[in-house]
Amino acid sequence: MIEITNLKKSFGKHEVLKDVSLKIKKGEVVTIIGPSGSGKTTFLRCINFLEKADDGKLTIGDISVDLKKTKKKEILNVRRKTAFVFQNYGLFSHKTAIQNVMEGLVVVKKIPRDEAKRIGENVLDWVGLLDKKDYYPSQLSGGQQQRVGIARAVALDPEVILFDEPTSALDPELVGETLDVIKKVAKKGITMVVVTHEMAFAEEVSNKVIFMDGGKVVEEGTPKEIFMRPKEERTKEFLSRFITKDMYYI
Amino acid sequence: MNEYFDSERFIEDIPKILPQLSVTFSIVGISIFLGTILGIIVAVLRIKNIPILHQILGIYISFMRGTPLLVQMMIAFYGIPLLIWNLFQININDWSPVVFVDIAFILNEGAFLGEIFRSSILAVDSIQTEAGYSIGMTKTQTFLRIVLPQSIRMILPSYGVDIIGVFQNTSLVFTVGGVLDIMGRAKTIGTATGHTLEAYLVVAFTFVIISLILRFVFYLINEKIRYESKIKVDKRKKHIENL
Amino acid sequence: MAFDLENFLKSLQEAINYLPVTIKLTVVTFVFSLIIGSVIAIIRNYNIPLLSEFFAFFVTVYNGLPLMVALVIYNLLYMNYYSRIASFFHISKAISDISPIYVGYFALIMSSSCIYSETIRGALKSIDKLQYEAGYSIGLNKFQTLRRIIIPQLIPVALPGLTNNLVGTIKGSNLVSAIGILEVMGGAITPCAISYSYLEGYLAAAVVYWGFSAALEFLIKRGEHYGTRYRRSLA
Repeated sequence: MIEITNLKKSFGKHEVLKDVSLKIKKGEVVTIIGPSGSGKTTFLRCINFLEKADDGKLTIGDISVDLKKTKKKEILNVRRKTAFVFQNYGLFSHKTAIQNVMEGLVVVKKIPRDEAKRIGENVLDWVGLLDKKDYYPSQLSGGQQQRVGIARAVALDPEVILFDEPTSALDPELVGETLDVIKKVAKKGITMVVVTHEMAFAEEVSNKVIFMDGGKVVEEGTPKEIFMRPKEERTKEFLSRFITKDMYYI
Repeated sequence: MNEYFDSERFIEDIPKILPQLSVTFSIVGISIFLGTILGIIVAVLRIKNIPILHQILGIYISFMRGTPLLVQMMIAFYGIPLLIWNLFQININDWSPVVFVDIAFILNEGAFLGEIFRSSILAVDSIQTEAGYSIGMTKTQTFLRIVLPQSIRMILPSYGVDIIGVFQNTSLVFTVGGVLDIMGRAKTIGTATGHTLEAYLVVAFTFVIISLILRFVFYLINEKIRYESKIKVDKRKKHIENL
Repeated sequence: MAFDLENFLKSLQEAINYLPVTIKLTVVTFVFSLIIGSVIAIIRNYNIPLLSEFFAFFVTVYNGLPLMVALVIYNLLYMNYYSRIASFFHISKAISDISPIYVGYFALIMSSSCIYSETIRGALKSIDKLQYEAGYSIGLNKFQTLRRIIIPQLIPVALPGLTNNLVGTIKGSNLVSAIGILEVMGGAITPCAISYSYLEGYLAAAVVYWGFSAALEFLIKRGEHYGTRYRRSLA
């Protein structure tokens, strides 16, 4: 179970996250949608401390952290329970696909090398890239790199995987194959928080959809509720750009 | 030898040493000016890839880059009079040693700058040259008016660093037949008064302060160039929006 | 006057005899300065309070001091204050027993460390922040990320600059001749005092330096080719 309460974050004078709270059940897939600048990516990055929130509380599984003053050890603990999939893949450019996947297993989880290799190969196979395991990121397409990134996250067996606009940097033809893998991850029952613009994907896969705007959660609900019967004006306005008239009725 | 530092002597030495900066700056000025011209010529010739000449220049550059400046100056000092004598039967042994130092510096700069210019000229997008030709400019016009100015813009930071390097390299010239720059003067003060430490400290401070000033000046120039190119880009964007 | 081949070869012989001195000066300086320079660059990159500002100031100022001037001053200080320092550290050797080469090492290492730190710092800056974040996101701490992710990517980026710096250090080692240490050039011109064939002597020194730096550059380029095999795409 993951719970974030009253998270606040400002960059200088600009208050990016005004008071955000979120509860995620185990195995739930939560999608966060919203316009650019709404703070959704910042919020995601606060969860694994790539950004340091100013205030709030974070609970992951059995760890609880006060975001106002977090100790280094607490941050490391949280990071060891989470995994992050970057918009720009974030693969280690000097390591092959299999090495990328194994890195966290060997160094952080202290799993012996051969077992890590076994796990790594399994996961790469699962995302359909076992034949590319010895390739370097520069030798892979964007979609392939992203799938390796997803494999790396899945291999760590974390409490939750955070996806930061996983398909935004991909060429349109490659988006499909990556979304398929993300759907597979969801089917596996892994807890996920996904920031995305892919509305059809969000509707198909999520258990809960959060709409954020101006640093606040404007509305949250099931995909049916949000996409078909949005309550808030701002939600309707935002969605009207993506969804055709016959997909929702007021 | 009593080398205990005396601040009075330090202050006294300052007006004795600083005038020799004229020698220092003359060496820097001449070698940068002529060295830049030589560098552009070398770069252009290398880019054109003329057989044999390309290899000869390659050897020249490799030699200047791979041997110490001190050795180069000495070779110029002893070798050029010999060369001139063998070629023209003129004896130039009584020429001021600064001349040979200048020649060594110029040749050194020609090699280093040649390489820097070559990479920056090649780095200018070929579309620039194509655009120049397409409006009817000759090769030379395109090079001088389009390519070279853009490459100079790219090269400015390295060029600045190089100039500061030349300035600092003048600290070596006093070893050649007694060239009287600031180091040379410090040495003569030492032999005359028996106190060298203060004099060399004056020299040290001079080098550090002038280097810092030069760095700051180049920093300002670089910022202005970057700012200007940003203005140009913004202006162009506005122009496109207004169309 | 003409070029005397015999004297040239004599000087060449002597120059090669002193090549070990130059090699030692270069290699020892390179290793120490690489370590010190890396530490400085890392401190400045991670903005460690106090130390980062101190080194920013120190490196900027020290880079303004030419090696020759530094050598001469350190040598003067060394010769003058040796007796004081020796008795402070309870060293019983006389100054004539200790080679001035340590002054040379000190000046070379100080100068090279500052220069290398700038090169390494530039390369460090060029590494995408994303790589740091990717390391942290899988649970690596700062040190692990630095060692396993950043530094391996840093090396090919910094290598061309450092190779340049290394050649600079080789040429810098030539300057210790000004404080009386015999290296390649010093060796090459010792026969010249009798024969007055200084041109041949300096040319011999040039040839040895040229060969040495060319050989070193070649070796490093080979190593660079091997080390960057991951960067070249299949296409």
